[in-house]
Amino acid sequence: MLAHRSAALAGALALALALTACGSSSDDADTAGGSGEKGGTRVFTADNGKVTIPARPERVVATGYAVPALIEGDAPLVGISSWQRGEPLLSDEDLATYKKLTKVAGESAAETNYEAIAEAEPDLIVLGVPTPVLGDIDMDRLKSIAPVVAVGPTVPSQWREVSRKHADAAGVLASHEADKAAYEAKAAELRKKYQGVLSGLEFGHIGAYGDTSKGTFQREFGGSWGTSVAQDVGAAYYGKVKKAGPGSQSVSEYPSVEELSDSLGEADAITYSVNPDGSVPESVKYAMESKLWKNLPAVKDGRTFPIAYTEAATYQDAMKTLDAIDTSFAPLLDR
Amino acid sequence: MTVADRVAEVTRGGRETPRVALLLGGLVLLAVTAVLSVGVGAHAVPPTEVVRALFDPRGTDDHVIVRDVRLPRALLAVAVGAALAAAGALIQTLARNPLAEPGVLGVTAGAGFAVTVGSALGLAGAQTGQLVFAVAGSVLAALLVMAVGRRSPLRLVLTGVALTAVLNGIALGLRLMLPDTFDAYRFWSVGTLAGREQAPLAVPLTAIVLSLAGALLLSRPLNALALGESVAQTLGAGVARTRTAALVLITVLSGAATAVAGPILFVGLIVPHLVRRIAAGSVPWLLLYSMVLGPVLLLAADIGSRVLLPTGEVPVAIVTAFLGGPALIWAVRRYGAGSL
Repeated sequence: MLAHRSAALAGALALALALTACGSSSDDADTAGGSGEKGGTRVFTADNGKVTIPARPERVVATGYAVPALIEGDAPLVGISSWQRGEPLLSDEDLATYKKLTKVAGESAAETNYEAIAEAEPDLIVLGVPTPVLGDIDMDRLKSIAPVVAVGPTVPSQWREVSRKHADAAGVLASHEADKAAYEAKAAELRKKYQGVLSGLEFGHIGAYGDTSKGTFQREFGGSWGTSVAQDVGAAYYGKVKKAGPGSQSVSEYPSVEELSDSLGEADAITYSVNPDGSVPESVKYAMESKLWKNLPAVKDGRTFPIAYTEAATYQDAMKTLDAIDTSFAPLLDR
Repeated sequence: MTVADRVAEVTRGGRETPRVALLLGGLVLLAVTAVLSVGVGAHAVPPTEVVRALFDPRGTDDHVIVRDVRLPRALLAVAVGAALAAAGALIQTLARNPLAEPGVLGVTAGAGFAVTVGSALGLAGAQTGQLVFAVAGSVLAALLVMAVGRRSPLRLVLTGVALTAVLNGIALGLRLMLPDTFDAYRFWSVGTLAGREQAPLAVPLTAIVLSLAGALLLSRPLNALALGESVAQTLGAGVARTRTAALVLITVLSGAATAVAGPILFVGLIVPHLVRRIAAGSVPWLLLYSMVLGPVLLLAADIGSRVLLPTGEVPVAIVTAFLGGPALIWAVRRYGAGSL
C-alpha cells in the first residue's frame, strides 16, 4: 500500500509540475473532434493541434490519463502505459484488462518504449499527458508509427472534458456518455439527499500531497482533486489560494502547519483525502495530529469527513468517489 | 604551537579566563538565536504572546504554535547542531585531518542506503520508519568502517570513503531502477528540521545528550591523543580505548542527528574550524565551543530557512551549506586550517 501511495504521490507531483507549466493553455474540449470525416479519417483537435485520425480506430495505444478512460470505454487497446495510481479505482474486470494489456510505457512520459509501441502496430496513439510533458516524448518518432493525439488536463477538475476527448478520439464516446449520465444521475441523487444538511456549510479540504518534510499540508479549494466531486454533491468549498499560479496552483496551496488555523479556521466542515483502503496518508495525518487541528471549530464540532478515491480521472472512477462521499456524509443526516 | 606548548597545555591548562568569557558569550548568542527561533515562523505571533506561551501557556493557537511546533524544532536544532559539531570535532581530532567530517565514517551514506532499501521495501514511508532505517544504516556502516580501519586514522578515513562510495553507488542504482523509491528518498535526502515535531525523538535526543556528555569526559584523553600516539602513551592515555570510545561517540552523535534531521553535511566540517583558533589546541575547549557554536549555526540557518524565500521554507541543509561555505573559506583564509 505504501508503494501505491508513493506512486500516487510521484504521479501527482509530476502532474502538479506539469499543470504548473501548462496552466495557460486553452480548453477547447467543447470543440474537439468529430469534424470533417472523409474516407475513414477525420480531423481531431487535440493539445498538439489538428490531427487526422482514423474515424474508427482499431488498434489504439493509450498513455497517462487516457489509460483508464479507454479501458473503461472498452476501446480497442493494443498497448498502454503503466497507471498505478488508478489501479484502485478500476473495477475487477477493468483491472484484469489493465494487467493483461502490453505495457508500452512506464509511469512517466520519459519511460516511453517506442519499439514496443511500434511492435503493437497501432493505428492511433492517445497521449493523456499535459502539454509540457510532451517535451519528454519524441513526437516525431511516435508520429512515424501512427497518428498521435495528445490531450491532458490543465486543472484537476478538467478530467471530465479530458476523458471525453480521449473517448471521442478512440471511438468510444457512446460508452463515455453513458458513464457520464450515470455519474450525473447519482450526483444529482446525492445532492438532493444532502441538500438540507450541506446548505449553508462552508467546507475546507486537506489533500494528500502535503510535504511533511517541509512541515506543510496541502490545502485544496474548489475545483481540485479532493473537492470537485464533492462539489457535484453540493459541498461548497470557500476561499481561494493566497497567490494563484497556473494549473493546479490555482486551486491548491501548501501552507505551513503553523497556518492551519489561518487556512481552515473559518471552515464549518472539513473534508480530507484518504487512501482507497480508508487509511489516512502521512501528510494528512501530520496536519490532523497537530494540536492546532484539534483547535479548529469544524473539528470541535465533529464536522470532518474523509473522502477516498480523490484521484478519479473518469466518470466511472468518480462513481466510487461519490460512494465514498455518501458514506462519509451520511452521519450528517443524523445530526 | 609546538608539541612542547601543547604538552604544557594538556598538563597545565591555561588561558582559562578569556576562554570562559568566550564560552559565556557563545551561550548568550545561543540563547538569543533560540529565542528568535521560537519567535519567527509562517504565522505571526506577537513577542508578548511568545513569552506568555513559554511561561503561562493557555492553549491558544499562538501558544500551541510556539510550544508544540517551534519549541521542539528549536530544541531539535540545538541537539542536532551540537551533535554534528561535536562529532566533527571528534573525527577531525581522531583522524588528525582537517577535512574529516562525521560522514567520513560512512554514517551518512549508511543512513541514506538504509532509507533507500527501506523505501524500496515499502517500509520507510513514515517518519518513524525512516528514523529506524537511518539509525540502523548509520550504525552498521560505522561498525564496518571501525572494524576495518580502527587501528589507523588514515585507514579509517580511507575505509569510510570507500564504503561511502560503494553504498552511495548501490543506493543510487536502486533509486534509478525504482522511481517510487527515488520519490520517497528525495524527501529525506535534504536535511531539514521542519515537520519533525511529531516524530518519536525521545530516544535519539537522549542518545545525543548522553554522547555529548561522553565526549566531554573523553576530551582529556583525546587531548593527549591529538599530540600523537607516542606522546599520548607517555602521558598515560589509553590510546586504543580512547580511539574506540571516540568512534562509538561519533557514530551515535552523527547517526542520531542524521536519523532525525536527514543529512546536514556542513556543520560537522565547518564548526570545528571556526572555533579551533580560540580553543588554542585544547580538545576539551574545542568540543565545548563546538557544542555551543553548532547549535547557533543550525538555529540561525533554520531561521533563515523560514524567512529567506517568500514562497515557503527552504530545507535547512541548503541554508547551512549556503552560509557555511563562505564562512569556512573566510575562516581558512583568515586563520588557516588551524592546528590539529
